[in-house]
Formats: sequence, C-alpha cells, structure tokens
Amino acid sequence: MTIILQQGINGVVLGSLYVLVALGLTLIYGVLVQINFAHADIVTLGAFSAYFFMHGVGGGYLASIGVSLIVGGALGWLMNTAIFAPLQGKGSELLPLIATIGVSVTMENAMLAWFGPIPYAFDSPYSNEVFRFGGTFITAQNALIVAVSAVTIGLLYAFMKFTFLGKALRAVAQDRETAGLMGINPNQLVMLTFVIASALAGMAGAMLGPVLVLTPFAGTSVIVKAFAIVIIGGFGNFEGAILAGLLVGLIESFTTQYLGPGMIDIVVFALLLMMLAIRPTGLIAEKREENV
Amino acid sequence: MSDAEPARLTPARLGLGPIGSRRLALLCAALTIAVLPLVFTDTYWRTNLIVCALNVMLAIGLDFVLGYAGQLNLGQSAFYGIGAYVSTLLITRLGVPFWPAFAGAVAFSCLAGVVLSLFAMRLRGHYLAIASLGFAVITYQILLNWISLTQGPLGIYAIPPPPPLTLPGLPAIDFHDLANLFYLVAGFALLSYLLVDQLIRSPIGETLTAIREDEVSAASLGMNCGAWKVFAFGVGAAVAGAAGGFYAGFVGTLVPDAFFITESFTILAMVVVGGMGTLIGPVCGAILLTLLPELLRGIGDLRLVVYGVAVTLVVLFIPGGIAEAARLALGRLGRSSRRGGAR
Amino acid sequence: MTADAARPEIDPPQRRVLLRAGGLNKRFGGVHAVRDISLAIPEGAIFAVIGPNGAGKSTLLNLLSGIYRPDAGSMVLGGIDLTGLPAHRRVRHGIARTFQKIRLFRHLSAIENVVAGFHIHYDIPAWQYVVHGPAFRRNHARCRQEAARLLAFMGLEARAHLPAGSLSYGEQRMLEIARALATAPRLLMVDEPAAGLNTAEVDTLLERILMLRRDGLTLCIVEHNMDLVMKVADRVMVIDYGQFLFEGTPAEVQSHAGVVGAYLGGELR
Repeated sequence: MTIILQQGINGVVLGSLYVLVALGLTLIYGVLVQINFAHADIVTLGAFSAYFFMHGVGGGYLASIGVSLIVGGALGWLMNTAIFAPLQGKGSELLPLIATIGVSVTMENAMLAWFGPIPYAFDSPYSNEVFRFGGTFITAQNALIVAVSAVTIGLLYAFMKFTFLGKALRAVAQDRETAGLMGINPNQLVMLTFVIASALAGMAGAMLGPVLVLTPFAGTSVIVKAFAIVIIGGFGNFEGAILAGLLVGLIESFTTQYLGPGMIDIVVFALLLMMLAIRPTGLIAEKREENV
Repeated sequence: MSDAEPARLTPARLGLGPIGSRRLALLCAALTIAVLPLVFTDTYWRTNLIVCALNVMLAIGLDFVLGYAGQLNLGQSAFYGIGAYVSTLLITRLGVPFWPAFAGAVAFSCLAGVVLSLFAMRLRGHYLAIASLGFAVITYQILLNWISLTQGPLGIYAIPPPPPLTLPGLPAIDFHDLANLFYLVAGFALLSYLLVDQLIRSPIGETLTAIREDEVSAASLGMNCGAWKVFAFGVGAAVAGAAGGFYAGFVGTLVPDAFFITESFTILAMVVVGGMGTLIGPVCGAILLTLLPELLRGIGDLRLVVYGVAVTLVVLFIPGGIAEAARLALGRLGRSSRRGGAR
Repeated sequence: MTADAARPEIDPPQRRVLLRAGGLNKRFGGVHAVRDISLAIPEGAIFAVIGPNGAGKSTLLNLLSGIYRPDAGSMVLGGIDLTGLPAHRRVRHGIARTFQKIRLFRHLSAIENVVAGFHIHYDIPAWQYVVHGPAFRRNHARCRQEAARLLAFMGLEARAHLPAGSLSYGEQRMLEIARALATAPRLLMVDEPAAGLNTAEVDTLLERILMLRRDGLTLCIVEHNMDLVMKVADRVMVIDYGQFLFEGTPAEVQSHAGVVGAYLGGELR
C-alpha cells in the first residue's frame, strides 16, 4: 500500500512538471493552431541557465528559477518573431512545425557540442531534505515542484478565466479575425502567449534539472510525453492538459515501479495511439466541426 | 513545347518533347550510376555512395507522403528499422534466403505504414506528425527492449550481404565488392524513383496533390482522402523498408540506435532542403546532405546542426528548397516569354 | 394565402423527385442550426433555398453533400439511401457542390482544377498507373479535352493554364462550378454563387445555370440574391432559424407574408 502511495506521490511530482510543459504547448496551439517543436529545448536551456546561474555565478536556487523564467520568455519571444510571425498565413500550415523541428535539431546538437554529452550534476539545496509521512516520503525539491506548479497553474487559470487579457487570449484562440475587429491586437496577444508559454517551459527546466538527468537532451525526454499529454487532453484544452498531465505522470511512476523504466515510453505512447483511435479529440472532448 | 505543366524543368529548348527529355534524364542517371564506382575506387567513398543511395530511397519514400500527399510523417526511421530487422531476422533466425526475406521486409514495412495511417486517418496535420513521432519512438523502444528478438543494444552481428547473383552467361556478381553493392542499391533507388514518378504523373499524383491542397474540396470531387493517405503511407513505408533490407547486409551489424528518431529528422531535412513539391529535389537533397558533411571534414560532429539550420532557413526563405532555387535560377537564365514560376 | 402548418404539394405530377430529405437535424453545441427540415427536389428543376443570414442554408447544404453528419433525418437520392454515406461516396452517386468560401486548389492551374473533377470517372487497370499504357493515355487525353470544353463553357478558356489563385473572384466562382461539373453530376448544389459578383457576372452566371438546366441537370441553389432566384428558380424553399418556413414557386414566395416578414422589408421586390 505504501508503495502505491509513494508512486502516487512521485507521479504527481512528475505530472506537475509535465503539466507545466504541456500547458505551454496547449496555450500556443490554442492561439496559433501551431506546435513549437523546439519547446523541449526551451526546457533544456531553462535548466542549463538555472544551473549556470547557480554553479557559475553563485546565485540562489529560487533566484535561478526566476532566471530560467526570463530565459524561457526571451526564447519564446525570439521564436515567435523569427519563425511563427513571418510564416503566419504563408504556405502550408505545416511549415512552422517543420521550421521548429529544424530549430530543435539545431539547438540540441549545438548544446551537445557546447556542453558535451556528460550529464551535469544539478544539485538544488532542496534535493537532500526529505519530508516523511507514514511509510512514504517526498524530497523538499519535489514538494517545491508540486507547490510551484500548483501555484503557477492556478494563477494561469485565474488569468485566463478572469482577466481581460486572458479573455482576449481565448477570443483570439476562437476566432482570430473577429478578435482583431474587436480592437484586440492578435499579434501582440500571440506574442504574449508565446512568452508566457516559453517562460513556463524554462521554469519547468529549472525545476527538472535536479530531478532528471541534465544533458542537452533533457528536454526531449519530457517533450515527447508532453505531446502525448496535449493530445490525450485535447489540443488547446486547458483543463484537459492538466488532467492528462497528472495522468501521464502517474502512469510513468507506476510503470517504472511495476514494468521497468524502459517500458515508460511504450506505455505512454500506446495510450496515446489508443486515444487517437478511440477519441481523437481528447479526454474532454470539444468537437470542433470544420467551418466549411 | 509543353506548356501544360509550366512549373517543370523540362529541357524543351533541346527540341525534345516531354517523353524524350525524360528518357534522356533517365539515361544520364543510369550512366552516372554506372560510372561513379569507377571514379571512386576507395572503400571510404564507395561506402558513402551506398549510404547516399539508401538515403535517396528514404527521401523518395518520405517525399511521396509529405511532398505529394501533404502528410508530415515523422516515422520514416521506424519503417527503415522495421525493414532492416525483419529481413535480418528472417535470414538469421528462419534461414530464409535473401530475396524472399527482402520481399517480406518490404511487405511488413508497408503494412506498418498502412497501420499507422489507419490510426491517424482522422487527424489533422499536427496530430498526425505527433502520432507518427510516437510510432517512431515506440518502434525504437521495442527494438531496444525486446532483447530476445532483437538482442537489443548489443545488436545483431555478421549479417551477410546479398548472396552472389548469377545471371546466365555472366560470372557471378559478388556483393562483397562494394562497387557491385552500390550498383544494386543505386539500381533499386533508380527503380523506386521511376515507380514513384510514374505514380505521380498519373491521376494518383493529381489526387494526392488535391488532397494535400484541400481535403474538403477533394472529398467534394469524389476522392476518398482517407484511402489515398493510407496508400501514400504504404508506398512510402515500403520504399523505406526496401532501404532497410539493403542496409543490414551493407553494414553487417544491426543496432537499434541506427533507427532513433534523429534519423527521421535527417530524412525530413533531406526532403525539405531538396524541395518538397518535386521528386528530383529530395533526391538532390539526400545526395547533398549525405555527401556534404564528408566533404567538409571538420564539421563531422556538427552535421546535425548544419541540417537543422538548413531546414529552418529553407522553410523561412525558400520553402521550395533546392528545386525552387534551381527553377528560379534557370528562369532568370532562360529568357522565356512564358510566365515563369507559376506556383 | 396564409402561412399554414400543412406543407404544400411539392411533387408536381410530371416530375420525379431526385433528392428527398426528411427531418434533417443538426446541432452545434447549443446552436440548433438545422431543425427538422424536409425537402424534395424535382428532377431537372432549379430548386432554390433562401433565407436571411444565419438561417442555416449552408449547414443544410453541408448535410446534403455529406460534409456534416445529421443528428437525425434521412436523405435519398433517386432511390439510393445517402444517410451515413461520406461526402466522397455521394459524389459517385451524382451529387456535386461548390462552396460559399471558394475552395479551389489555388496553386494548380485552372485546367488542373477541372481535371481533378474527373477522377471518379477513370477507368484504368491498376497496373497502368505505373506503366502508362494505352488506356491511360486515352483517359488522359479525353480528360483534358473535356476539361477544356468545360472551361470554355464557363468562359474561362483564356485562363486555362494560369494558377487558380490568380483569377479574379468572379472567374474563380465560375471555375469552381466548372470543376464540380467535371464529376458529371445529376444534382449540382451551388452555395451562394452570386456572392461578390457584379451585375454583368451575375447575368453570365444566370445564362449558364439556365443552359445547364436545359441540358437536363438538376440544380439546388442556396442564394441570398433574390433577383437571381426569382429569374431562375422553379421552386423556392424559404428557411429561417434553421426551420422550414415556406415553399412554392417564386411568385408564391414573393407574396407570402411570412417570408416578407422574415426579411423584414429588406430585399424583396
């Protein structure tokens, strides 16, 4: 029983991180109907910038989270300006995705050349503290992850639901042209979305660093699951992404426990493909008939 | 003067009609293939040429699905791997002779492509890309983890090349000789090109193009979009499977890492840089991206960085790739009175 | 004549019904776009569907052509049950359509667009797709001849090899019709064909439509332009808020109080 509880806790921790990454993807898809394939690499760079802030510059861990937020946001701004904005409405809708695949491959291998393949030991001061309840435990780092994620997600949710900007964002997601006619500048909002989404990714990286192995490919291990989450939760669906993220986190921890870590990807993707076959619109189905 | 297809690079100025110019091109290609191993006699370059030919096949397969049917298939690495492993396992475990095993590998890859496509049938472009990526990841993990079948990361060793070919009246052609192996693989690559080219020039090509441009419209003209997408995937996967069948015998050792998802991105780069809307473009892209890192020795490690940058720049500035660049260049060179570059 | 619950006789004894639909319903979330609509299109007639904006006309067309699946209701085309058939299968039974928002293959030339419509008629053995034999060449040539003829019919022969996206708006509308005609339909459904056309272009469109009817084609026109409808239609069905309002000849429709009310004293002359 305690094993199940323990894995449950681990699952929630992982799930929280995945939700942060997946929410970013969901937000971007919501406003642009596009996927930023290089989202993963923003996570990785966020992790590396936090690492170097701590171990290179000697900053505090919590401050490094802030640094990764900024780095992430900056990268988001850059990618939107360089890729998504110029390609808006031009050519096949797959072009931005392909371009970001190019960016992703470039970033990963440039990081590989720069940082090397050997994992960096990213120690956060919270990694070693442990809270125990009954037979289970949670490291302070993991508790921090869950806490920060929960707060961030909560803030984001409130922002989307209750503030004017948030509603404007949702308006642009539903109908870009009309939103524009209403006096909202869709381009600015898209940019804002990108910055927020990428900042989230950067922050996720900073929190991931101490938990996972920090290599140039750290983001990749997360992104593949993040994609699965976005599909399972329903593209563009906020609540769905949260639900699916936690689900995938739990699946991963239980799979690791009972089937071995090698099976994680297979199980997650098998679930993904099953979802696609049965219910392509995701857990919280929002049937969008194409406007003919 | 063929002006029914204004976007094609026909050397009509030579006075050849479209059929004549195609036959000339075919002849040139065949001659080039015949001559290459005679020019490059060392093992290193002959190996590169064979890799080139394999990549050409992979690029053709992906181009059919992406460039013509408009489906972003990121699973090509999986079909490549399936082809390689299926043929190898049939040969080493079941003692099946090479060519039937090869056929089996092609059939199995084709089936895998069909299955993936059926799953993804109702999906929009991005969903499909992710689903195909998922498929590639799962396939890789299966190859890596199903140790009893594939021996996992340790790999399968001592895989023989295709057995010697005895044609009546000629001495046996031994495929340990890299020149002969190149002829075989390049010959198949040329064959794949011709096959796919014929399909493209038929109503099938028009159907796929229509589906790529606008599925709703295509359906309103009676085209069964789902079925054709499955067809395209099947063909693309079959060609990749064939490449896989040759890969194993060529390299001699089979490890799952050769079929990591990076391979899918590499093939994508070749197709995009070459020019998605044409067939000859990705062929050039494959040749260029295979040989370029070898020519620029120092950048060996940064090969993938170069690919990534190339893809991004091409998409942003010249989405039609090398083919479009060539067309623009030729358009400026030839003072044609026709409206050039109608795209 | 008062608005009455009983439906008027819609099957003139001398014409068979080509397309009969009963009780069609379609909801999108909270919006009940099409509410229990039935219709019968006589063969060889021009059947117009009119109504104010948002009445559900395009949705109705999408249901009939198979792009949307109805929540309830049935559709029969000349004896063949269409309910449940996807869009591409209906084309083979003889339904063709154009779109309100033009959906041409913009990068293909005009003639290539029309040729795309011939695909359901190809009669080539499978191997000839790979090795282009005689049947292939015959089909190829015949297709292109037919396409050229259709383009000429719609007045577009001069534009045959230009990319469809470069044609003027009016020309694009004509091209869409030419392309739909390539499928050799029994019933052609046209969605707001006159939208965005100037008077001269509308007149040309009118001529073409009448010629098509003369050649035996049945047409269903969804239209906003009352002028066109009155000149061309044999029967007119009026819908509003997704519901059937009235059906009759153009003259009957013009004088019907409910119809005038629906348009709120707008365009009717």
